[in-house]
Amino acid sequence: MGTGLNPSYFIGLSAALFAIGMYGALSKRNIISVLISIELMLCAVNINLVAFNKFLTPDAFLGQIFAIFIITVAAAEVGLGLALIIAISRRRETNNLDDLNWLRW
Amino acid sequence: MNIDFSLITTEIALAILGLAIFTLGLIIPRSARKGLGNIALLGLIIVLGIAVYSWPNQGETLGGMYIVDHFSSFFKIVGLVAAILVVFGFRRYVAANVGNYLEYYSTIVFATLGMIVMISAGDFITLYLGLELMTISFIVLVAFRSFDVKSLEAGIKYLLLAGMSSAVLLYGLSLVYGATGTILFAEVAQSIIDGSGGLLLIIGLVMLIAGLGFKVSAAPFHMWSPDVYEGAPTSVTAFLATGSKAASFAILIRVFVGSLTGIQEHWVMLVAVLAALSMLIGNLIAIPQTNIKRMLAYSSVAQAGYIMVGIVAASQSGVKGVMFYSFIYVFATMGAFTVVAAVYNKIKSDEIADYAGLAQRAPLAATVLLVCMLSMAGIPLLAGFVGKFYLFMAIVDGYMWLVLLGLIMSMVSVYYYLRVVLVMFRDDPVDPTPLKMETSVTITLLIALGVTVFLGIYPGPLSEIANTAAQSFFTP
Amino acid sequence: MSEWVGVALFIMAGLAFGVVGIGVSFLVHPRSKNRYKLETYECGIPVEGSAWGRFKAQYFTFALIFVIFDVEVIYLYPWAVSFVQLGLAGLVKMFIFIFILVLGLWYAWKEGALEWK
Repeated sequence: MGTGLNPSYFIGLSAALFAIGMYGALSKRNIISVLISIELMLCAVNINLVAFNKFLTPDAFLGQIFAIFIITVAAAEVGLGLALIIAISRRRETNNLDDLNWLRW
Repeated sequence: MNIDFSLITTEIALAILGLAIFTLGLIIPRSARKGLGNIALLGLIIVLGIAVYSWPNQGETLGGMYIVDHFSSFFKIVGLVAAILVVFGFRRYVAANVGNYLEYYSTIVFATLGMIVMISAGDFITLYLGLELMTISFIVLVAFRSFDVKSLEAGIKYLLLAGMSSAVLLYGLSLVYGATGTILFAEVAQSIIDGSGGLLLIIGLVMLIAGLGFKVSAAPFHMWSPDVYEGAPTSVTAFLATGSKAASFAILIRVFVGSLTGIQEHWVMLVAVLAALSMLIGNLIAIPQTNIKRMLAYSSVAQAGYIMVGIVAASQSGVKGVMFYSFIYVFATMGAFTVVAAVYNKIKSDEIADYAGLAQRAPLAATVLLVCMLSMAGIPLLAGFVGKFYLFMAIVDGYMWLVLLGLIMSMVSVYYYLRVVLVMFRDDPVDPTPLKMETSVTITLLIALGVTVFLGIYPGPLSEIANTAAQSFFTP
Repeated sequence: MSEWVGVALFIMAGLAFGVVGIGVSFLVHPRSKNRYKLETYECGIPVEGSAWGRFKAQYFTFALIFVIFDVEVIYLYPWAVSFVQLGLAGLVKMFIFIFILVLGLWYAWKEGALEWK
């Protein structure tokens, strides 16, 4: 390597990204914003995995394979989320979480 | 990397079943799709037969990524039994309130497949894939009544909270990978014994507890369960409360007792606090509920608290307690929810007040609800008592405060269960016409009743099996 | 260092490809300015409404189907890289994988998600 990088940079980056995502997921009231925030959290995980893979097990691709699986599953999840949003907005013109109050939150 | 196919026959059979239902449903005309329920039922029974038959098979395949031992076989059978009861006992409910047989039955089968894969996981990737297959299938199922805004709302809430919880879980997994340099449970355990650890591992551990705590709906990660349980179709609620929960407990044990034993001192107290909180919050908030599905949701939070006690013990008797309790919990919960669905089919209401005089209108349903609730409360001579006895005996030295809390909270739970019972048996019905139950519902109720009573009186054989299976964690 | 020469040549060739194309067309194209010339879509449909208007939910459905199938393709890349080592068993497994995806597409088709209403 010899690039002067060390794992703590990556851990710091991913921790910051994860915290931003978590904040967004908890504070945003728009369903799509919350979905984006969750994606941000998953990106943080992927950065972690790929960085650890590079520094810890450079000849086994465990972390990278894991990251690929996370990307696919995240896409499936978002697809499902958007489908649900379409279904909800057809019934009721909203994509704001505060309006979803038939059941107590 | 060679795959030992003899170890994964159950999974292959289940995957083929799911795809077969899906393909068949696309080929046959829409009006004929109703028969898919019978095919799903038959297929699941065959798969259960395969799972029971392959009980002696043990080993690891895919380079340790997939573990088949008695412990995982036990939970697979529990999951399959739950799936069979869901398909069988709720047929009329599904026909009247859900529809879309093709999507419904294939999704149920895929959710079961997710559970089974997760139970057998030997590394983080398999764990995550199984978990997500189960969760995504359940999101679809929860939001299934797409004409009902309540169901859609429950679906979107489950999606967002489950997405968040799995992100937290994944971050924890990635930190554990960073701390130990491996994703196999067995190697993680070895690496911890060899002295790897530090802050990274501890933070990862806490996030794992949070992520998995969500799946078993342990307080304070239970906020989703009342809403989702109430909004989802009752058949899905029943499956979510039994199969999903049992599978999540299996993986919780696999990760904590099987893999992170080396740093027990860091997590035992945390899990004990979660267990105590779940018992407290679940039982206390269940008291004022007026909707029976919501009440059962809070009661299932409390049940999660009891089961977690067995993980606190982190011993063979504790694991055995968890296995035994999960088994009987499936039958008791399934019995209760079958009654709820069957009654909803007739009177279109889930309010406890509308259960007035149920004992006169449908004696069997009322009796089964009574027995299942008393079993959950832990009244002697019923299976729940034996299960709680095993769980709490495992921690009696060391965590006396937890045992006392468990006992007090069980008494509290008797209060709100008996409230329902009083409404059913004492109050006079508004409309005294008897409710006629379908044969499939009656059979399911009799099975739930029979198992709950039988295991209460004669728990020996099942407890012996659970004990043998629990050994797989503690033989070096 | 010598392996970077190829990369540098590649970048220069790529740049040249674009620059030469735009440059030549700038030199030789006929110059005319009128209202139609300045439209967003010069010889297409006239633009109406603002960019913030609502789209049909139908677009969403197509986009969703695209996202799902698009992402699954990332499994094909690692498989293609180690195609020779995996051999026939790998091929069979990939066919099973594609078959399952095709089932999903079939379902989408049958339910009318691919139809433009």
